[in-house]
Amino acid sequence: MAEDTFLTDDFLRQLINVGEVDILVGLPTHNNAKTIGSIVQTIQSGILRWFPRERAVIINADGGSRDGTPELVTGISIDDVPRGSNPYALRTLHSISTKYANSPAAPVAFRTILAAAELLQAKACVVMSPESCSVEGEWISKLLRPIRNDGFDLVTPTYRRHKFEGLLITNLLYPMTRALYGLRLRESYAQEFGFSGRLGGEFLTQNVWGDGSAGDGIELRFALAAITAQHRICQCFLGQKDHIEQRGSDLVPALRQTVGPFFSALEPDFPFWSPVSGSQPLPTFGPDHEVLLDLVRVNRKRLREMFTTGVAELATVFQSILSADTLAELQRVALLGENDFEYPAELWVKTVYEFAVSYHKSVISRDHIIQALAPLFRGRALTFIIQHRNGSAEDVENGIEALCLEFERLKPYLLQMWKSRE
Amino acid sequence: MREMIISELSQAMHELARGFAHYLPRLIVMLILALAGWAVAYVVKVVLRSILRLIQFDRLSENAGAAQLLNKAALPSATEVVSRFVFWVVLLGFVLLGVSVLGILGLQEQIGKFFFFLPRLFVAMFILFFGLLAASFFSRAALLAAVNANVPSPRVISLAIRSIIIVFVLSIVFEELGIAEQTMLVAFGIGFGAVMLGLAIAFGIGGRDLAQRFLEQRFVRAKKDENEDEFSPL
Amino acid sequence: MPLNQDVLWYKDAIIYQVHVRTFYDSNGDGIGDFQGLEQKLGYLQELGVNAIWLMPFFPSPLRDDGYDIADYNAVHSSYGTLEDFRSLLNSAHSRGIRIIIEMVLNHTSDQHPWFQESRSSQDNPRRDWYVWSNTDTGYKGTRIIFLDTEKSNWAWDPISKSYYWHRFFSHQPDLNYDNPAVREQMWKVMSFWLEMGVDAFRLDAVPYLVEREGTNCENLPETHAILKDLRRRLDEQFPGRMLLAEANQWPADLRPYFGEGDEFHMAFHFPLMPRMFMGLKLEDRKPITEILQQTPEIPPTCQWSLFLRNHDELTLEMVTDIERDYMYDAYAENKTMRLNLGIRRRLAPLLDNDRRRIELMNGMLMSLPGTPIIYYGDEIGMGDNINLGDRNGVRTPMQWSGGWNGGFSTAEPDRLYAPLIQNPVYGYPAVNVLSQLGSGHSLLHWMQSIIAVRRSTAVFGRGSIEFLHPANHRILAYVRRLGNESVLVVNNVSGTAQAVELDLRRYKGNIPIEMFGKNIFPRVGDLPYLLTLGPYQFFWFRLRRI
Repeated sequence: MAEDTFLTDDFLRQLINVGEVDILVGLPTHNNAKTIGSIVQTIQSGILRWFPRERAVIINADGGSRDGTPELVTGISIDDVPRGSNPYALRTLHSISTKYANSPAAPVAFRTILAAAELLQAKACVVMSPESCSVEGEWISKLLRPIRNDGFDLVTPTYRRHKFEGLLITNLLYPMTRALYGLRLRESYAQEFGFSGRLGGEFLTQNVWGDGSAGDGIELRFALAAITAQHRICQCFLGQKDHIEQRGSDLVPALRQTVGPFFSALEPDFPFWSPVSGSQPLPTFGPDHEVLLDLVRVNRKRLREMFTTGVAELATVFQSILSADTLAELQRVALLGENDFEYPAELWVKTVYEFAVSYHKSVISRDHIIQALAPLFRGRALTFIIQHRNGSAEDVENGIEALCLEFERLKPYLLQMWKSRE
Repeated sequence: MREMIISELSQAMHELARGFAHYLPRLIVMLILALAGWAVAYVVKVVLRSILRLIQFDRLSENAGAAQLLNKAALPSATEVVSRFVFWVVLLGFVLLGVSVLGILGLQEQIGKFFFFLPRLFVAMFILFFGLLAASFFSRAALLAAVNANVPSPRVISLAIRSIIIVFVLSIVFEELGIAEQTMLVAFGIGFGAVMLGLAIAFGIGGRDLAQRFLEQRFVRAKKDENEDEFSPL
Repeated sequence: MPLNQDVLWYKDAIIYQVHVRTFYDSNGDGIGDFQGLEQKLGYLQELGVNAIWLMPFFPSPLRDDGYDIADYNAVHSSYGTLEDFRSLLNSAHSRGIRIIIEMVLNHTSDQHPWFQESRSSQDNPRRDWYVWSNTDTGYKGTRIIFLDTEKSNWAWDPISKSYYWHRFFSHQPDLNYDNPAVREQMWKVMSFWLEMGVDAFRLDAVPYLVEREGTNCENLPETHAILKDLRRRLDEQFPGRMLLAEANQWPADLRPYFGEGDEFHMAFHFPLMPRMFMGLKLEDRKPITEILQQTPEIPPTCQWSLFLRNHDELTLEMVTDIERDYMYDAYAENKTMRLNLGIRRRLAPLLDNDRRRIELMNGMLMSLPGTPIIYYGDEIGMGDNINLGDRNGVRTPMQWSGGWNGGFSTAEPDRLYAPLIQNPVYGYPAVNVLSQLGSGHSLLHWMQSIIAVRRSTAVFGRGSIEFLHPANHRILAYVRRLGNESVLVVNNVSGTAQAVELDLRRYKGNIPIEMFGKNIFPRVGDLPYLLTLGPYQFFWFRLRRI
């Protein structure tokens, strides 16, 4: 029975020409012509500056772009064909591209990059996001050096962010990863990260690729796989985190990409995380995080409205998901006035844990469970914003730390519920 | 005279005995069939119950909202209900088979019709069940989407969708069962049309503002409150 | 075998570079001599070389291995007499081998009578034969060539109480070429040797003949004018002789030395050589192709001279800082090996005595456009001794056999001009001509065969070059063409097996015939031509259309 091969002949031919490499930079793209030009220039100059003697390659996994993105990537190859202006380089630098599908699919892109890394025997790899406008050449070095020099297998980034950016991470993903998996990994869902060839090869053989639910959040599963296999993980401060377009309704897709896969992973990883208690810090190069404190205006009224509306309108749905006590508490919170609105940490933790359990049991459609979390998250976000509207960076960090400890403290509650309805 | 009465009587007794003798075997067969039917029906019920438990039929029916309905009607769980229903149907089938052995003419036809009706009954039950499931799923999906998009009156929308789907399913069920087909079709048509007309009027006249806001939020993205900064959750 | 009378003989030459002192000692005094070299001409003829470049053999205090000349019209007594030299010349010619000798134009030894006279007083007639100054501030900014030993290009002369200019060692004062007397005298010197029958001169240190304020004192127009004049006279009086320039410059700066075919016939392609080594270590053809692509066209009668190693350090002057650091780390981790911006090692040690790499480098040497020069001893893979000072580590006695003194001399070992290589890997018992002649697959036999293949066609010496650019950067591929003849050369510069697809559409319909075994390969069609090569393997294909 012939195995399905997802690497095209043309791509394999290009890989033959590249040969063994020391460093591989993976770049998944789809219609990124606006930003990709400067990003690949930055990557190229980063490689030339920080790793001039290493054999390097840039692999672009493209999901059917129609705006010339792949050509922009391959255009920065450096070789000996005489052309106008080639930056000086000791070695040939290959920059190759393959179209893995006619429409974007993050797991296939990542799998393509991993396959290339294995075939090229890459020692250290880094995946870059095609959308960041604040990428610096030094990021390549920061993400690769711990792997090449210190033997780490996974390097996750930390960023400088505004205190109210990334609340889903600070209020849910980070505390939950920390409480359940026992590692203080701030960015488990990263768009830029480094990993060793060894880790990549292992993940490639795992049975996550045919699984439909791996559609989103493959990066998250990768990080969790590294944790459960007890690879050496570290963090590295990169710089400013930015994103190009922002939409208020970003929340549900964000939940689908992160919380969904995270909950999915809890089931197979149960033997790993159930006995874990407390959490360990990770080796971190540079600061753990940095916080911008610019004054901002937030539409608190809208957040509160969406929370209270959600609690009211979705009561029937919540009855299937939450325990009676928790739901009653939520309904009480929903009645609080604007000035004393507070979604307490303990209640939030219980909410999240009960959602995780309901997801595990598939009490209703799993996608619906994820969607139902959105209005509740808004309420929590509002509380966080209110508590830290005048807070310093230290205050914010203390708040997050307190929340994390709450998650850790209530872990037995999760375990109890996880096992009970079985 | 007395002898004529006795001979008539004994002839009548004879007739009766003959008739009885004629029917007795068939009656016995019928009883045997009934007993056998009871046994088979019992086995089928047990097997079916196990299968339904295996596929977690109760969970499915919960999702369908059938469980809530049964609860309200003070009926036992869906698995039980279905198993028992099938038990009685099988038993009835065997009994009717036994009755048909008796050879009562008019009854044969009705029994035949019953057996023809059975498959359609099962199909209808099947459609109803999954129809309820779908109604529940889509109405919940609509509810969640509406809530997350900050659309006003999300429950109304959810209910509307559930109703439409249920009405649609019912009409198919009735059509399948062949019960008052035409009436049901017409009723469905009228009902569906009425709902649509109502919504149209609501959007057009009464819910002008509602409609406007809905459309704005759906299609005009750029217009956000300028006094607000945007934050990304990730 | 009579000499090839073609005026462009140098394009078909295979040059063997040797120092008389190192080759063979015929009189048992521990120093090689002319008679010894003459006795070994048969060996060289069998190797296949048809020209010998002799390092300086003039009378000299030998403080720069003979490049500090004290008398231009004689030979150093250690090597024999002028008669011995004439005999050597004639024997060589009878075997079809030409003789190229050194001519150091730029400077003399401070022991040379001319300098003795020049320094004696300010009024001496030869005062102006050298470049004198009362201060050492003239020609500021001129780079110092022997960085490891010299701090300045001016030296104080206590006798004449003034400074004299020297681009090399301080005991090698520069001649003053602004003086017509100097120019005349130097031509006389050259004529002396040309009349004797010498076929060519390697003119040492030519960029530095003339100095001018406000310049870097290299490659000046006045220098070129002098050289052109020499060439003119050569062509008039001694047609068919050749001038080879030693000018360690970038290709663009080297180009003027060819003039319009009216200056030098040949020049060393210095920048290519370190890049060949670099490409091998990087396992990337890029450094090699780039420098050749940047090499300017030269007049049709001119020729580049290619070499892998020579008597000097492997110079890293003509590379960027990044490249130099890389080469040091790759080839000369032991700092003792570094000298004057270069690496002083022989070919075999540089390549870790890897036979495959040695063959590959020689293969490139023989197939890239230019005349190849083989440094004595490299044909048997001799080693070096970095503990001998300066560049003497690569100038040890030739190893002829495993016997007494490696068969070089009958003298006591202590009397040898330099000790033999002794270590188990490169020592003379292990590496010598006799054993290699007796071993069918020795490096020596292989060198003989590749030289034979090279000489079997004029394409390598006279043909054009067109680089192919296969996407596999570990493959260096090019086509040499001359008239109807085409040769495809494919080199794998990496240590691992490689597959490559070549775009040979221009040669569609040709049958590649591998030139060593003469076996035919699949015909070139429309599709990319797939070849697989083992580590460091190379192919030479004659493209034949039948």
